[in-house]
Parts: sequence; C-alpha cells; structure tokens
Amino acid sequence: MSAVNSKQRQFDALVRSLSGDLFRYAYWLCGDEALANDLVQETFLRAWRALGDLRETNAAKAWLITILRREHARLYERKTPQFSDVSEIDIADERDTVQPESAGEDATIRAAIHRLDPKYREPLLMQVLGGFSCDEIARELNISAAAVMTQLFRARQKLKVMLGDGNKEANVYELS
Amino acid sequence: MNCLEFRRQLGVDPLSSGADFVGHRQECARCAEAAARAVEFEAALRRALNVEPATQLAESILLAQAMQQQRGRRTWMRRGGMMALAATLVLAVGLGMRVEASPLSAQAVEHLHGEPEALTLTQAVPPASVRAAFAKRGIALRHDISGEVVYVGCCPMGRHLTVHMVMPGNTGPVTVIYVVDDRVKQRDDFQRDGWRGRSVPLGSGTLILLARDTGQFDSIESEWRTALQG
Repeated sequence: MSAVNSKQRQFDALVRSLSGDLFRYAYWLCGDEALANDLVQETFLRAWRALGDLRETNAAKAWLITILRREHARLYERKTPQFSDVSEIDIADERDTVQPESAGEDATIRAAIHRLDPKYREPLLMQVLGGFSCDEIARELNISAAAVMTQLFRARQKLKVMLGDGNKEANVYELS
Repeated sequence: MNCLEFRRQLGVDPLSSGADFVGHRQECARCAEAAARAVEFEAALRRALNVEPATQLAESILLAQAMQQQRGRRTWMRRGGMMALAATLVLAVGLGMRVEASPLSAQAVEHLHGEPEALTLTQAVPPASVRAAFAKRGIALRHDISGEVVYVGCCPMGRHLTVHMVMPGNTGPVTVIYVVDDRVKQRDDFQRDGWRGRSVPLGSGTLILLARDTGQFDSIESEWRTALQG
C-alpha cells in the first residue's frame, strides 16, 4: 500500500468515525447548523494538510477539536461583519431543523444549553461530548484544572437552575 | 471522602469512577440518592446534546477533500506550464494577435469536468446550507428554492467566485453555477463538449445551467430568478 493510499485511508476513517462528534461539538459551539457543517468541513480539510502531525490515533478526536476551536475563532473574526445582518429568525429556524421536537425535555434542555454562558458551556461540551478529563480541558483552554472543575460544577448548577431543578441545591454544593 | 467533597465531585463529574467517590456512594444513602439523580440528569443532558448531523456530512467532507486535491494538482501543473504560456503570450502580442479570455460557458464546463464527483451525489442538502453558501459570497437569497439541491460548494472558477450546485432531475442532474462577479450581456443557450448549457444574466452575476439536455432549464431558471430577485 502506498503512502498516499495509507494517508487517504487514515483520513477516510477519521472522517467517517469522528465527523458526527465534531459536528455536535461545532453546533453547540456556534449554535448554527449550516455554520457547524462549514466548520467541520474546514477542520477536516486543515487536518488533511497536517495529517502527518497526528502521531497517535487515540489522540485524533482531541487534535481535531483543537483545530475546530481555532477554526471557529478564525471564522468568527473573519465572518462577523458578513453575518451581522443575518436575522435571529434565520438562526432560530436552523436550530429548529436540529430540534425535531417543539416541546419536551430535550428541547427544554437544549434551550437552556444555548443560554449558558460560553465560558461554562465549552468545558461542559469538552467533557460530555469530547470525553476530555479536567486536566485535558485545562490544557486546551489554557486555564487551571481547578478553574475547569469550578466551571463544570457551575455549568451543571446553572442548567439545573434554568430547568427549575437546582434552586434547593444551589447553595449546598457550591465550590469553595 | 466526606459528603461535601462527594457532592462537589458529583457536580464536576457525575460519572466519576474514582475509588473514593465510588466508596462514599456505597456507604452514604443520601449521597447515593443524589448521585442517582445526577446520573439521570447527565443522561438527559447527553440526549439533548446529541444533535444528528446531516446524513451526507462525511461524504461531503471527503468530496471536498478530493476536489481540493484535484485543484491543487491542476494548480501545480499550471505553474509548470506558466513559463511556456508566458513565452507564447509574448510571442502572440509581438505578432499583433488578439488573445481572448475564455468565456464563462467554457470555464463552467471545464469546472464541471474538474469536479465529476459532484454529479454522483443523491442526498439533499438542507436549504440552510444553500443560503449559507450564498451568504459566504455576500448574497442574501430572497427565497429558498423548492427544487432539491444535492451538492453546494463555494468554488473558485478561474478568476471568478461562484456558488456551484447540483440539482437532480428526471432526465439527469443539472449543474447550476452562479458566477457572483461577472454578468453576461444576454441570455444564451450553448453546446460544449457534449454538454447543453444556458447562461443567464441574473442580479449582479450570471446563472449558468449545464446538463445533458435542456428539458429542465426553464423551470430551474425560473426558480433561481425568484430566489435571487424575488
């Protein structure tokens, strides 16, 4: 098998096994289905060009999420003026396409996640969707592991409060 | 681990498998109850986060990568021929020859030949992706088109910026290329390399349709006229 074929096979396998996870991460990062598709595609195109940098298959997901976060930051810087006139109605419609139910538990929790401050949402996404440990999240976000633990704790706390389920527990579990 | 430390860890990682955490849960009934509630919440959270991507996402990415590679190869080959081309142009100018730029119709057919995989796709892309592709080119569609689109990409075509799409049809796929930055003077039907084509001045650009036959051109042109001009 030639090196080119080997690289292509590795890339195909990455795309087929991880594009769904990457899409979910991108969607909750930017809140827009079409933009999430673009982000994932751009992430994989960059990954293709830098595939030689990936040393361990087990690290592929973390590597791709790192690329995706950078791409998201770049896209946001580049595209903000262009997207500034896109109406909230459009964004709401696109969210509806990902959320088949107009009511129900999933829709309620999704609305709460969208309202969560990004500084709480992103560590939560990295843990729940990315499977990262607190130390890995800390390295990725360039903050301390203690700060990550606090943000994860507060993310869940705030979600529960938004969902009307956390009022009585809010003071009891607060981290020092 | 005491109850307070357990509750803290529960908020940080409800699915923790640390020995202290598991040990306390087995010993303390109240914390075990709290852990059960937290695990239930975690499951609901995971369900809610689990949005499904478009079914053809992986295929679209692989297609884009294949196209990027192909474009890269063509660019490399073009660079190789640049010196020869430059010499030819100098000679042509020297001889007083008039060198004409390739018309949009020819560039569109060449572009189509460069991306044959786009014609093999069958699953519809969401209207939001079509809108997003036009938005990338600075164009807000006034209406979504009712016809199905199975491929959409923001492609360079020579020096032009385009939105390249494929629409399936009863008699075969129709390639639709909207050239954003060049407007032909008049509507024109053409034939080139076995393809039937139509170029239409529309908005500030040009709509180009390419297919093996022209049967669906009128309806598709009408749809895009409405989408772009209202």
